[in-house]
Amino acid sequence: MNRIESPAASTANLQLRQVGKPLVRTDSPTKVYGTAVYAGDLTMPGMLCAAVLHSDRASALLRHVDTSRAEALAGVHCVLTAADLPPSQGVMTDMPGQTGGLTKNTKQPILAKDRVRFCGEPIALVAAENAAIAEQALRLIDIEYEDLDGIYDPFDALAPGAPIIFGDDNVVASYKVRKGDIEKGFAEADFIVENTFTTQYQEQAFLEPEAALAWVDEHEVLNIRSSTQVVEHYRAVADAIGLPHNRVRLRAEFVGGGFGGKEVMTIEVWLALLALASRRPVQLVQPRERSFLSHGPRHPFTMTHRTGVSGDGKITALQIKLTSDAGAYAKLSPYILLYATVGATGPYRVDNLHIDSVSAATNNLPACAFRGFGTMQANLACEGQMEEIAKLLGMDSMEVRRRNFIHTGDANVTGQIIRSAVWSDQCATQALATLGERPTDTQTTRIGHGVACYQQSYGRIRWMKDSSEAWVGVEMDGTVIVRSAVTDIGAGQSSALAQITGEILGVPMDQVVVYFGDGAVTPLAGTSTASRALYMSGNATKMAASQVRKNLLSCVAGYFGVKIEQLDMCDSQVFIIDDPQRSIALKDCVKLCAAEGVHRHNLAIFRAPTSEGIDPETGQGEVFPDFTYGAHAAQVAVDIETGEVKVLKSIGAHDVGQAINLRAVEGQVEGSALMGQGFALCEELILKQGRLQTGSLSEYLIPTSEDVPEIKAIVLESRSGLGPFGAKGIGEPVYAPVAASIANAVADAIGVHIFELPITPEKVIKALREKESTK
Amino acid sequence: MLPPFELLEPHSLDQALKMLATSESVPLAGGTNLLPDLRARGEAGGRFISLAALDQLHGIEHSDSRVLMGARTTLSDILHDPLMPTAAPSLVSMAKVFAGSMVRNAATVAGNICYGSPSADVVPPLLSLDAELTLASAAGERTLSLNDFLLDYKKTARRPDELLISVSWAPPTTGTANLFYKLGRRRGDAITVVGVAVTITIEKGNCTKARIALGSVAPTVFRAQEAEEALVGGPLTATTIGTAAQAAAQASRPIDDIRASADYRRHAVHMLVRRLLTEAWQTAGSQHD
Ligand SMILES: Cc1cc2nc3c(=O)[nH]c(=O)nc-3n(C[C@H](O)[C@H](O)[C@H](O)COP(=O)(O)OP(=O)(O)OC[C@H]3O[C@@H](n4cnc5c(N)ncnc54)[C@H](O)[C@@H]3O)c2cc1C
Repeated sequence: MNRIESPAASTANLQLRQVGKPLVRTDSPTKVYGTAVYAGDLTMPGMLCAAVLHSDRASALLRHVDTSRAEALAGVHCVLTAADLPPSQGVMTDMPGQTGGLTKNTKQPILAKDRVRFCGEPIALVAAENAAIAEQALRLIDIEYEDLDGIYDPFDALAPGAPIIFGDDNVVASYKVRKGDIEKGFAEADFIVENTFTTQYQEQAFLEPEAALAWVDEHEVLNIRSSTQVVEHYRAVADAIGLPHNRVRLRAEFVGGGFGGKEVMTIEVWLALLALASRRPVQLVQPRERSFLSHGPRHPFTMTHRTGVSGDGKITALQIKLTSDAGAYAKLSPYILLYATVGATGPYRVDNLHIDSVSAATNNLPACAFRGFGTMQANLACEGQMEEIAKLLGMDSMEVRRRNFIHTGDANVTGQIIRSAVWSDQCATQALATLGERPTDTQTTRIGHGVACYQQSYGRIRWMKDSSEAWVGVEMDGTVIVRSAVTDIGAGQSSALAQITGEILGVPMDQVVVYFGDGAVTPLAGTSTASRALYMSGNATKMAASQVRKNLLSCVAGYFGVKIEQLDMCDSQVFIIDDPQRSIALKDCVKLCAAEGVHRHNLAIFRAPTSEGIDPETGQGEVFPDFTYGAHAAQVAVDIETGEVKVLKSIGAHDVGQAINLRAVEGQVEGSALMGQGFALCEELILKQGRLQTGSLSEYLIPTSEDVPEIKAIVLESRSGLGPFGAKGIGEPVYAPVAASIANAVADAIGVHIFELPITPEKVIKALREKESTK
Repeated sequence: MLPPFELLEPHSLDQALKMLATSESVPLAGGTNLLPDLRARGEAGGRFISLAALDQLHGIEHSDSRVLMGARTTLSDILHDPLMPTAAPSLVSMAKVFAGSMVRNAATVAGNICYGSPSADVVPPLLSLDAELTLASAAGERTLSLNDFLLDYKKTARRPDELLISVSWAPPTTGTANLFYKLGRRRGDAITVVGVAVTITIEKGNCTKARIALGSVAPTVFRAQEAEEALVGGPLTATTIGTAAQAAAQASRPIDDIRASADYRRHAVHMLVRRLLTEAWQTAGSQHD
């Protein structure tokens, strides 16, 4: 095993007492009892309700927008269109958060002016006494459209002579990777395997749709309380409407699911405008059908792999083409394409490599961030290709993987040396073994086993120059406060900070209160995206807590006349390690510090590793701080008469570096198993000429409780990550291999690979028929 | 957002029927069809008559010759009734895969039948059992077969002043197999892509009665009568089963939609009818031989 002792693990003088244990999360009781407050639960005296009019054309000129009938309706306070907006360039939809680095300019109009570019583009905002009046007002807004030709396929968009939606050529972004000698690599190959994989739009389908409340307070500060992954959007709100940054306060409530869909700003700027215009508190909770239009779904990708392999299964050359459909606005598409490009070879070392990737604008829904951020699509192609290579060579696909796995010390796609542990093999082997024996096939069902590995980054792109701050303090009674503007999107982000602080300061986790998600009064921690929240704010919190620990221990060391290293903290006591009877209660220790004027609190900043970008011609350079590795295995039963696929077992095995809360890790694996199953089998936003055909939860099919297979999480800990105690990010990584493992299991069951997700019963039947006819 | 609507809450059947006769109003049972529709329309809804307090519409009675099920029976009631697994095996199989547990607790048999949807899952099992419906109005009661009740897409023989009050059928005799299969795009809360119910009676090695009811493959749930006829009079063989399955597929008039293509639906009808008939032959046959 290529185990690496990280500095964090080897130098810690702590035995872990809380970290890694499946302790009850601080947010659990409030969610179980239903007392947790979400943005849609908030209410204020005099509060108005908002509603948004979305375009029902995909590509049209806005000839005329007449709001007079809506404005005349009793109970309507204001109706806003593009004509009423401040003369800003729209709202930034670029990488938000604690980034000092350069971002691309991806401004998008707040409300459509003159032209709509996708079906669902916001056109008008209403604030009224209640939701019923607001809805009625929407129906009284008269719009005259003049339809224009639209483009609904990224390949059409890139064809010469296509109507232009974006820039000069509809290219939203493109990347090139040139590494080694691809011609030589293909010449050395005994076989060449080429396949094209496609993926569909996937909707985040969080339980809680977009929701927020905004008002202007007595200090002329615009306040927004919102369901968001990013409190730093206060800056984008301020810039968009021309306010100073310090006059906008954005607070994130508990978020009922984000998955990337609440990364780019959704409804906050609309509410800000309505609150300013009406001078009343205004709330909006998007109804489900409009929620589908209010954030960006996962990008559909078309991915072609042309792989040269030697007879013993070693990849000698790989040429990859990736094309994604960005939809009508850029949003985060350039970055998502970069993730896909870096992730295109999965957890494999490829020395002779060409990648060409492009993201094209169309008049479809603008796609955006979604758990995995392009990596999981790219990984799906890579893992499907592994199976096809193995089939051609008559080898076990795990053996092919083993011959090609990247190892610690190897260079990845962009030439970045992997420094942390790579336990792909261990994870895949354990996941597969846990599937156990195959049930026997029946006359009409075939059982399949599939596995997929992955490489997924955690932490921001290095040239974003990411940082995170946290404050930790001890009260006079020995209880502890953490302040961090991290957003808590349901994965236990705030609870993890309590657990880390409890560990460092030797206090039970329930003695720690975490104030989180306030852009004005808690230190800014950056986004809960990119699997970075625990990595970044966990490190910042650990740094702050460690400094407080040092301050406290230095007082106690003086008191007992010993060295700091001789002391430890546990159960709210400070004691001498070799003579635990000699101890002092934490609260007395705090008093000691206070009397001596020693700080009982600390504000720390953690800074991620940075770089200046990649070479545009070769794609070489350091892109991410680090990567997580692991695997998922699935057992499926396929009905060969109807094409139905049932997932029987779903096993995730991941090297998480160090679990902070074991239960929370298992929760991530379980959730990802279902989300990935949905992507593999039934979830699909279907657009027809840009118009959404599946805009409800009875048509957009996420797995239900009745679809849950047997799920198991296997948690491995290399302690080699860059996070606190050697943790790696896991929120996205655990999701990255799931769909691929199911697709591979289906292929194993029926003997033919389905290259196009989702694998519907209909596609299974078609594949089986084609297999029959080519016999 | 659910628009406002008026709700009348009668305490007796008579009162309810009077309300239905005199005011423009719609019966409201579990609301699992009506309320989503109202929300989708977005306009202030009309007047609903709640059936919650009408005792006559509740309860399931079993006798040797007849099962009588109140119209307000929910899908969960079907699952909790201890005699239902023998009184209507297909209905129990259906209830297990109907929606999810929350909706099963609210959704009623009457609502499912009266909504008239081609994908109504309660209908194929009942159709395969030759169920009869009793409707009541202020003017009196009438009984008609479920088969005659279903007219066209979301069109039934119910007059606006009528309430469905009960459903009845003869429990399957020995030698009868009664099966159901729902093909959906997921296991819970799925709108049926193809629903198939079959009832096969075998006497002395020959099929004496066959019913094949198909859901989601025509404007209304319907019986594939040609297929049924192909089965009656002899033993079921691979050939007769194949012929019947083919006939059932041919009798289907499915559409292409977001869930599946018409072609696929026809294929699935063929496969599922063949499968259920084969299974029915085995189970019903074994009860005698
Ligand atoms: C999430 C979800 C999942 C679903 N899954 C399924 C499924 O798997 N299979 C399926 O078939 N359906 C499904 N449905 C649809 C619905 O639940 C069923 O059709 C249900 O049986 C309707 O019954 P109800 O009591 O709720 O009817 P309601 O909505 O109350 O009424 C439906 C119609 O019947 C009329 N009506 C009701 N009772 C009477 C009566 N006694 N006499 C005369 N007219 C009456 C009403 O006026 C209305 O027109 C689902 C719905 C939802 C929301």
